[in-house]
Amino acid sequence: MSGDARLFDLGYRAYDGPRERPAYAVASLAVFTVRRVLGLGRGARHKVLPAITLAIAYLPALGSVAFAVIVNDIAAGDLIGYGDYMFIIGSALALFAALIAPEALCPDRRSGMLGLYLSGPLDRTRYLVAKGSAVLAVMLLITLGPLIFMLLAFELAGFGPGAAELPNLLLRIFATGVATALLYAALAMAVSSLTTRRAAAAVGVILLIFVPANVVRAAIESTGAPDELDLLSSPFVAAELAYRIFGETPDDVEPVTRLSTWLVAGGVAAAVAAGALVCWLRYRRLEAFR
Amino acid sequence: MISARGVVKRYGRTTALAGIDVEIGSGVTGLLGSNGAGKTTFISLVLGLRSRDAGELTVLGQDPATAGIAVRARIGYAPEHHDLPAELTATELVRHLAEQHLLPRRAAVQRTNDALWLVGLGEERFRAVSTMSTGQRQRVKLAAAIAHDPKLVLLDEPTDGLDPMQRVEMLSLIRRIGTEFGMQILISSHHLEEVERICDSVVIVEGGEVVHAGTLAGLRSGPEGLVVEVDERMGELVSLLAGRGLEVTADEGRILVGAGSPDAHDAVRDAVAELGVGLRRLEPRGRTLEDVYLGEES
Repeated sequence: MSGDARLFDLGYRAYDGPRERPAYAVASLAVFTVRRVLGLGRGARHKVLPAITLAIAYLPALGSVAFAVIVNDIAAGDLIGYGDYMFIIGSALALFAALIAPEALCPDRRSGMLGLYLSGPLDRTRYLVAKGSAVLAVMLLITLGPLIFMLLAFELAGFGPGAAELPNLLLRIFATGVATALLYAALAMAVSSLTTRRAAAAVGVILLIFVPANVVRAAIESTGAPDELDLLSSPFVAAELAYRIFGETPDDVEPVTRLSTWLVAGGVAAAVAAGALVCWLRYRRLEAFR
Repeated sequence: MISARGVVKRYGRTTALAGIDVEIGSGVTGLLGSNGAGKTTFISLVLGLRSRDAGELTVLGQDPATAGIAVRARIGYAPEHHDLPAELTATELVRHLAEQHLLPRRAAVQRTNDALWLVGLGEERFRAVSTMSTGQRQRVKLAAAIAHDPKLVLLDEPTDGLDPMQRVEMLSLIRRIGTEFGMQILISSHHLEEVERICDSVVIVEGGEVVHAGTLAGLRSGPEGLVVEVDERMGELVSLLAGRGLEVTADEGRILVGAGSPDAHDAVRDAVAELGVGLRRLEPRGRTLEDVYLGEES
């Protein structure tokens, strides 16, 4: 036997190596959750719905860019506007929010994983920060991704705003994408914090987004209720804020000129705060132990 | 390791813990009690997952309700329930929980591997948890509880749902982890024989109160000597043993032999053979855990 022989596989033993900081646990849970909600590393059936929703969100951008490239002599003003785009994919946003937030939150409470997480370094606030970050990151895939794709593709195809305007437009895209993602993420997480059943949460998210929107619009149009009621409609405030950030005017909808941009932005901020508060209050007293 | 002083926990009008006073030290400690005795509530307080209504509780030197990250990262916990994320493999689940306990990714991967081999799931580590038997899931939970090398491991009913052979293997594994790797283990159970088999100490909880706490060696200690039971002619056996200089008393159908003679075993054997009676019981005097438990229950 050689005198240089070494035994490398020592099996289970004490660990005296470094340990990470708490932020590592938050980041680890966030990444784990992103993978889970997108179906990465899971069976094909878990990937179907996220893939369909992503397709709905990106196809108009792909089509628009393809059309511009094929036609070639299209005027820059005839290209689809970024505000218009956020309005067009509004349903995909709602559907995506209804898919991902319940998938991020509900199974942990249903399976008892929440207790395992909270018995370690994560406290309830850090847990929610991790889950919220994951939901937000996935929402950004469709609130930022298509707009950035369109901007870069148009620029490369010669239909872009030019180098001088590019930073400004990127900033607007970033502001719109983050605000919209925050709005839908907060609402969806609030609903998802109320039930352990993913399907029920998904239906609840859809109802929360669309029922007030339709009720409010009907009230304004039929009874002459004040325009301020529109602030209760999340699709309205999301689209209206996007239009105003990009300085666009909707083609077929009368602009709600009575509402200032700050009031619309306040409506978005209030909805985000309300959603986050509901979620935090719910988890503050939630029974995590089974 | 764990120190409780007057710990009270109420759920509405129901008092789950009515002033727990206990010091739990090193080694493997059994938390024994019937269903509803307060074991799980106590574990939830130790983990900081519920808040107590009164009293003082320290775990690894800190209050679990406000414990710092460093302490919470050094606790391992295997819950009673078997509901684990079904789509994950054993490796994915254990590694994820190791990372949650602040192990760097590379170390988490390596130690997950080691922990799963240790609990006997080395060959099965890439199987989805949903396809595993109850016994295998219990082992996955144990691996997840120890992968990050905790100082304190809390195991809530770790043999629940196991068949007798699996139970024996699991108990041996827990004992090995408690003795070979320097972890303090608190195991919740309502099986007397499990606690008696692998624990160094026991805490018996009934009705939300600690009714007995101490080492098993101390618990078993009592009057020395032998207990003898025979089929018949008990009086003659008592006389015979007394005639041979042993300190003997008859007590409710059994004979208690004092510790005065070092040859008491031989003397009893010879006397029984001489009388030609059947020997039903010959064992050292002292209490068993069952004696203590039933005594406390009654």
